[in-house]
Amino acid sequence: MNAIKRVSSAEDLEKLRRGIRARKEPSKHIIAFCVGTGCIALGAKRVLEETIGEIKKHGLEIRVDVKETGCLGICEQGPMLIIYPEEVPYFKVKPEDAHEVVSKTIVEGKLVERLLYRDQVTGKVYKKIEEIPFYKNQLRLLLENNARINPKNIEDYIEIGGYSALAKALFQMTPDQVLEEVKRSNLRGRGGAGFPTGLKWETTRNAPGEPKYAIVNCDQGDPGAFMDRALVEGNPHSVLEGLMIGAYAIGASQGFVYVREEYPLAAENISTAIRQAEEYGLLGENVLGSGFNFWIGVHRGAGAFVSGESSALMTAIEGNVGEPRPKYIHTAVKGIRDKPSCLNNGKTWATVPLIILRGAEWFRSIGTEGSSGTMIFSLVGKINNTGLVEVPMGITLRDLIYNIGGGIRGGKRFKAVQTGGPSGGFIPEEYLDLPVDFDELTKIGSMMGSGGMVVMDEDTCMTDMARYFIDFLLEESCGKCVPCREGLRVLSKILNDVCEGKGEDEDIQTIEDIIETMKEASLCELGRTAANPLLTSLMYFRNEWNQHIREKRCASKVCKALTSYYIDPAKCQACLICLRECSVGAIQGEKDQVHWIKQEKCIKCGTCYEVCNFDAVEKLSGEHLPPAPKGMKPIRKRKGGN
Amino acid sequence: MPTVLLKCQHCGYRWDYRGKNELYATCTRCRYKVKIPEDKVRILRQKKSSLELKSSFSTEKRPVKLLGIAGIVNKVVEDYRYDESMLIQILLRLQKNFNWLPKEMLSEVSKQLRIPLSQVYQVATFYKVFSLAPRGRHLIRTCMGTSCNVRGAPIVLDRLQSLLGIEKGEITPDGAFSLESVNCLGCCALGPTMTVDSEYYGNLKVHDLKRILSRYR
Repeated sequence: MNAIKRVSSAEDLEKLRRGIRARKEPSKHIIAFCVGTGCIALGAKRVLEETIGEIKKHGLEIRVDVKETGCLGICEQGPMLIIYPEEVPYFKVKPEDAHEVVSKTIVEGKLVERLLYRDQVTGKVYKKIEEIPFYKNQLRLLLENNARINPKNIEDYIEIGGYSALAKALFQMTPDQVLEEVKRSNLRGRGGAGFPTGLKWETTRNAPGEPKYAIVNCDQGDPGAFMDRALVEGNPHSVLEGLMIGAYAIGASQGFVYVREEYPLAAENISTAIRQAEEYGLLGENVLGSGFNFWIGVHRGAGAFVSGESSALMTAIEGNVGEPRPKYIHTAVKGIRDKPSCLNNGKTWATVPLIILRGAEWFRSIGTEGSSGTMIFSLVGKINNTGLVEVPMGITLRDLIYNIGGGIRGGKRFKAVQTGGPSGGFIPEEYLDLPVDFDELTKIGSMMGSGGMVVMDEDTCMTDMARYFIDFLLEESCGKCVPCREGLRVLSKILNDVCEGKGEDEDIQTIEDIIETMKEASLCELGRTAANPLLTSLMYFRNEWNQHIREKRCASKVCKALTSYYIDPAKCQACLICLRECSVGAIQGEKDQVHWIKQEKCIKCGTCYEVCNFDAVEKLSGEHLPPAPKGMKPIRKRKGGN
Repeated sequence: MPTVLLKCQHCGYRWDYRGKNELYATCTRCRYKVKIPEDKVRILRQKKSSLELKSSFSTEKRPVKLLGIAGIVNKVVEDYRYDESMLIQILLRLQKNFNWLPKEMLSEVSKQLRIPLSQVYQVATFYKVFSLAPRGRHLIRTCMGTSCNVRGAPIVLDRLQSLLGIEKGEITPDGAFSLESVNCLGCCALGPTMTVDSEYYGNLKVHDLKRILSRYR
């Protein structure tokens, strides 16, 4: 590494950028590994170590560089790597494959067919990353650079043009002009509610009190959403740059990044990024020699969903219990230590440099009238291509799920998609052609949220999902206000009863009454929107509720109390696998004797259903249980000698 | 200096001896060599060692060196410059070093930060990460987020509970594992997921769990 030189003007930054670019050799191979948390979970670190070993074995250290990048989005296909300059993407790479990757692709210049992306339906093989349907239909503005930079190295970010938006804002624009540009771009907060960002900045700017604070919210508590993690992990400097531009516009000198405890890598990467930016003179006192001072501190959360709410997050930064307060006075006016504090989501901040560089008009041309720009969704659940997708606002759900997501897993039927986390709702099949933006989703009872999108198929019970969300919120409710605390407790009790087959017809009326009170009287947005999943489940899937309450049956066979397991004697091969795996010894039988389940012992854990290789274990609900075939010989599928 | 009362065997003179010798002393009156009795030698030695200890731990013009829990807490609190708004970060760091937060540690934090103990407890009990009871050597956290839930996390949790013989939130009798569930680990695309210590496991299958656990036994 060269000796670090502080950048003290915009020209210096350009000079540094030119220097970094000149140092790069265009013919040099670069193997970029995705080392986001997702790929690490699938063993990316071992693949990386093996590859480095292989490179050394071939003596290619000078010709090949290994780069660790952030999340590339298509987590289902991980661990993945891209080889530059040819841009060959390899998916599902195992440590054993490292040898072939190096010896074939790097040395001989041939492709390893087996590791390329193969479409699960058509069987077509794709050699370029842009051609893969998952990427082809996306517009990756924020996530694009994740593949090209090492988040732990600021020079990578500077090389691709980083911090030029900051230089432009500091030297060519006044704070008013920056604010005006963001207001004109119609950027709305990406954290969930979709509040216009420019307006929020203006409120903080005009509020009395010094110092002012600017905060990044990376406390993504929504289960099923992880785009903040991917962004802060993979491209922390873009968030920092946006934060600094925002701070310049609103006149803040102190910033905070609040990262949730469950994202250790994100906290580590953003801390490294801050340290490097300070060393380069891009952060701290007299940024780029412009006279603008800004400091950033990283605060780690400690596992509380409610801390993602703006006023709760600010009390958490103050070191207190993260409970929300009534917001008659907005946090933009009185936030941390009663000073004006501007809180935005990480994605919102990361969008700001793009707006400053390319202009508000460009930004408005993407997306819909009311919601401009792109949105990152985490497309997860029972879908073929799970991962992070970035699309322009206004795309239809059908496009998202079938074109990008590749349809439902195992050819099952689509049932619902849950958006917006615990504050959002379920969207049934009939609304699949709805354009996705802030206003349209709110109209049908759900919300955009931070962009979580959990796809559910016919094996998901909507009553059970409603119960799941209420139980989740009950656990996470801070307990400060009565409607939320007590309302959720009673709702949880009723829903658990319904799922256990003890529900009654009046219950639905009670649920609706409680929801109404909670909506009116809860202190914060969490309590007010807590019932959204339950409401939409009731609204669109009423027949399932009736089945649970009147017929005592769960059509999706999820609710334990209404389901029983049964081994089909015609299919059972008496292989003893389920018998050994059963933790309570409920499965009876022996070798050469069809197994059967002792119902009074069975705890319905579903292990036998999971492990059976012959699909002999069935779930029954509301049907009459056939008698157990004691002592029956199995009907062999194959002949004995085979 | 230590003093012992000695009696000369030759002339019978008694005096307070305050020398360094441990075996013989010289009588100040007749210059006769006097043997120091065994029990008095012990006193001499004890006094000497306590004196040495005192001089090495002298508090004069030196910062107080804290021992034990106070010292552990002080190191962290000093790092955060006694800033009480860093309480959560301090507790996080302490827990990382110590695995859980004993009562003594919390009261020490409250003393050193000069905030009420109740405030420390309020924070330590509100946030889920903090554990006020000992944890196992390995911490297993299963993700119960929506995506993992849809893809079979409850079955994984059930299986873990029966494999370890404990409920969620408990510790195995041999102290090897603690089992906890979290709301989202941020690996939603790979559900069901879990972490053991800082190691992530994605796309879990029920029958893999035994193998994974055996690595940590």
